[in-house]
Amino acid sequence: MRTATTGRPRQRRRWGWENWVIGAGIALLLLYCLAPFYWMVVSSLKGPGEIASNSLWPRDPTLVNYRGVLGGRDHFGYAVRNSVVIAVTTTLLAMVIAVFSGYALARLRFRGRNLVLALILACSMFPGVAIVTPLYQLFADWGWIDEYQAMIVPNISFALPLAIFVLTTFFREMPWELEEAARVDGCGPFGAFGRIILPLAAPGVVTTGLLVFFAAWNEYLISSVVSITLASNPVTVAIAKFAGDSEFQQPFGSQMAAGVIVTLPLVVLVLLFQRRIVKGLSAGGFR
Amino acid sequence: MGRPAAATRPGRRRGRFEHWFYLSPALVVLAALLVYPLYQLVLVSLYDYRQAQVSGAQPLRFIGFDNYATLLGDPRFWGVLGNTVVFAAACVVGTLLVGGALAVLATRLRPWVRTVLFLTALGAWATPAVTGSAVWLFLFDPTLGLVNQVLVGVGLEGFAGHSWTYEKWSAFGLVGAEVIWCSFPFVMVTLYAGITSIPEEVVEAARLDGASTLRIAHSIMLPMLRPVLAIVTIQSIIWDFKIFTQIYIMTGGGGISGQNMVLNVYGYQQAFAASQYGLGSAIGVITSLLLLAITLVYLRALRRNGEVL
Repeated sequence: MRTATTGRPRQRRRWGWENWVIGAGIALLLLYCLAPFYWMVVSSLKGPGEIASNSLWPRDPTLVNYRGVLGGRDHFGYAVRNSVVIAVTTTLLAMVIAVFSGYALARLRFRGRNLVLALILACSMFPGVAIVTPLYQLFADWGWIDEYQAMIVPNISFALPLAIFVLTTFFREMPWELEEAARVDGCGPFGAFGRIILPLAAPGVVTTGLLVFFAAWNEYLISSVVSITLASNPVTVAIAKFAGDSEFQQPFGSQMAAGVIVTLPLVVLVLLFQRRIVKGLSAGGFR
Repeated sequence: MGRPAAATRPGRRRGRFEHWFYLSPALVVLAALLVYPLYQLVLVSLYDYRQAQVSGAQPLRFIGFDNYATLLGDPRFWGVLGNTVVFAAACVVGTLLVGGALAVLATRLRPWVRTVLFLTALGAWATPAVTGSAVWLFLFDPTLGLVNQVLVGVGLEGFAGHSWTYEKWSAFGLVGAEVIWCSFPFVMVTLYAGITSIPEEVVEAARLDGASTLRIAHSIMLPMLRPVLAIVTIQSIIWDFKIFTQIYIMTGGGGISGQNMVLNVYGYQQAFAASQYGLGSAIGVITSLLLLAITLVYLRALRRNGEVL
């Protein structure tokens, strides 16, 4: 009896101590995760007179930064439009191509299948910097400089290896007997795939599509070289540009407002598809 | 006569080349936009190829491995390689520590707290590198930054106007903090999935046998997580070896007199700022070879883990 009563408080105290450490750890890490976000949003709402003051919330919230970014000489609206066109086109094309490959790699048995998958996956490791020079020359020859396709096509090739890998993982778990059955019942090969497998695989396809979209939206290196003017600059290049035109003060207010505009759609997508993204992340590996 | 009979058995006897039909679009794109440029890269790295050759003022001259010899004999190259390795290693370790700690924490949290944690982490992951870099630069700005003002506020007067990007390793540290900030979520999410897939009974049985928490972590969790850990580690190595955007933006193209150059930024600067296309390409080739070696290890780890390969 005595051991039981003395054991209990001790156990409770140990839990308390553990909880304190965990709590402090979480607080620190949440600060690390959240502070940059929070500061970006808060600073974007501060006017030019207040940006230098480090009050933790805007005393006099104003949209002047947003108005300046979207309407002023930065023409950020164009950049948003360019990025939407580039990222959406990249996602659609890459997903069509990747679905075909994922199907072949998950469903069909053929010699050298693992080798093909390994080679495709190995393509994802090449540093963009290594191919940016040859790509620039290639696109210059084709007259593609400052055109959307000069960013869309490399984005597709960067996204494909991991998209194919993640989709293959998803497709492996599909009930392929159903497809077989549909074929026996007279569906063509595309009909069987489209009507039976694709709806079942929709979560995986959506997840992969989101990861491709994120990667395309965030791409900077290739765009910084092949996109010259406002007509084709995506958001990443545009932000880096007005980070660079330094007068005496860095244009932090407009930078932060632009950051919010660029990050907001992604955060909304993350909120909507949290579970699926988690699944896709642990299945493949995107960043 | 045999052929129509085969055609009446749909789905069984499929064309011998059907898979190539499905794979061809991807293979064509990858060949045209990754393999061909890489071939070009290797080719250019064997030439004396500079601004004069681009404009046609001087003829293209094949110089074999001279570009490589120049690089390997240049102490600057070795310095940049050292920077790359140290910086990548620090980022990998930091990412694994933060991601691993949070993954373990996540298993012990109430569901709603865990959801909040995952959402904030995914938010950091989704933030474009350009935006993340801008925010972190602003936070650590010498005069307007929140960090310095807070430090001065708590009595550390020395931080008034302190520049975090002036000193080499301080600049690397700042970039590293941003890199870890946007890359730990991947590690956390993957390890969390790995931990939760460990059967509860195994841990419970060990606990009933009197194993301590530490012992369980060391003798049961760690061995079962080893394959996942291997993949996460190698993926992080590949990524952190390739960091470009954050360094390029946060240190203004490689830091004061190039002190914060890593291989990627160095190659980019040689090609686009110095117009040394041959030399820049040689740097690209060397980086690719190093990454190829890491990738081979990665593929082996995947295979051992019984993934789709």
